[in-house]
Amino acid sequence: MLDSGLAGRTAIVTGGSRGIGRAIVELLAAEGVDVTFFFRDNVAAADAVVAGGAARGARIASDQVDIRNAQACAAAVGRVADRCGRIDILVNNAGMIRDNQLAAFADEDVQIVLDTNVGGVFNVTRAVVPHMIVQRAGKIVNVSSVAGEKGGRGQTNYAASKGAINAFTRSLAVELAPRKITVNGVAPGVIETEMSQPVRDLAGDDVLARILLKRYGKAEEVAYAVWFLTSRFADYVTGEVFNVDGGFKME
Amino acid sequence: MQPTITKEEIMQVYPKVAATMADALGCDVEDIVLDVSLIEGLDAESIDFLDMVFRLERAFKIKIPRGKIIDNARGDLTEAEFEQKGVLTPVGLAQLKAYLSEVPAERFREPMKVADIARLFTPETFCKLVIMAQRETKTA
Repeated sequence: MLDSGLAGRTAIVTGGSRGIGRAIVELLAAEGVDVTFFFRDNVAAADAVVAGGAARGARIASDQVDIRNAQACAAAVGRVADRCGRIDILVNNAGMIRDNQLAAFADEDVQIVLDTNVGGVFNVTRAVVPHMIVQRAGKIVNVSSVAGEKGGRGQTNYAASKGAINAFTRSLAVELAPRKITVNGVAPGVIETEMSQPVRDLAGDDVLARILLKRYGKAEEVAYAVWFLTSRFADYVTGEVFNVDGGFKME
Repeated sequence: MQPTITKEEIMQVYPKVAATMADALGCDVEDIVLDVSLIEGLDAESIDFLDMVFRLERAFKIKIPRGKIIDNARGDLTEAEFEQKGVLTPVGLAQLKAYLSEVPAERFREPMKVADIARLFTPETFCKLVIMAQRETKTA
């Protein structure tokens, strides 16, 4: 058996109660990582993830945090650091969509997506990085989206937020390389989650026509890429955004 | 007005500051003499300064707001009084020299750029930073 080096590490995963985040939480926990995930509002879903972990003997904890609030993020990260003593892995996964044609957006449709998908990444990462700098080690993985690079109707707000995350990933990789902290991204295509349900319902045939493998992805298939980037096998990978999209074609 | 910090106060925090800085820089604690330039003498990079600040915050249980050294140095001066287009004004330079009184005069350049201020920092500068933060913690 190859040893991923993950057992005994500690991780924070944002948006961990559902979808891709949940798959990441469960995979890392199965690898022996002590995982704390942040979630915003779905207490029942979060409790189910924690209970499932406990039933399997995995270490999974949850913390209800609105990542748009910098102080709340700093406090929550501080709680993890106090409890675990260190923070080895950060997966910035939390994100949301509010699709519409640009001209039809309400102010809030733009702001809430940017505040969550970009502001949230800044808030949590700013709180975590001091710990990693002092440790001289750490792995940060940002969950981006195929939308960050490729055009999609009704997604200017979401696409802008994910393009920002890709740029953020590359810049932070440069900044943290002297401390051996790697920063990478995973860009999922259309994955079978609650979040992508409206897109699949609305434009399923069009979307499938653009996917080389002719099917949607599964949350676990994104989690495997995150697993790789947080493992010791990816020690020499930084500043990369890794697509997990079934071969999403540009029209 | 620059607040007064006595040599005794500095020597009180210095051993712990030196040990903490040596950890951050990965050097021997003997290298952390009070007046060595961190950048020119000990090859410190910008991320090392952050590392030192984070470690000092933990070691002394204080909070050092980011960018505080330059703010402290500026004292009561407005930004425009302190610097113009990234270069210190004569008044600003005098103020900086007063604040960084531990730094030998020949290390100050003229004109002095704001971006080069960090090149002047020494372990004593960080001792002062810790003392100022301790005072603020006490009054808070």
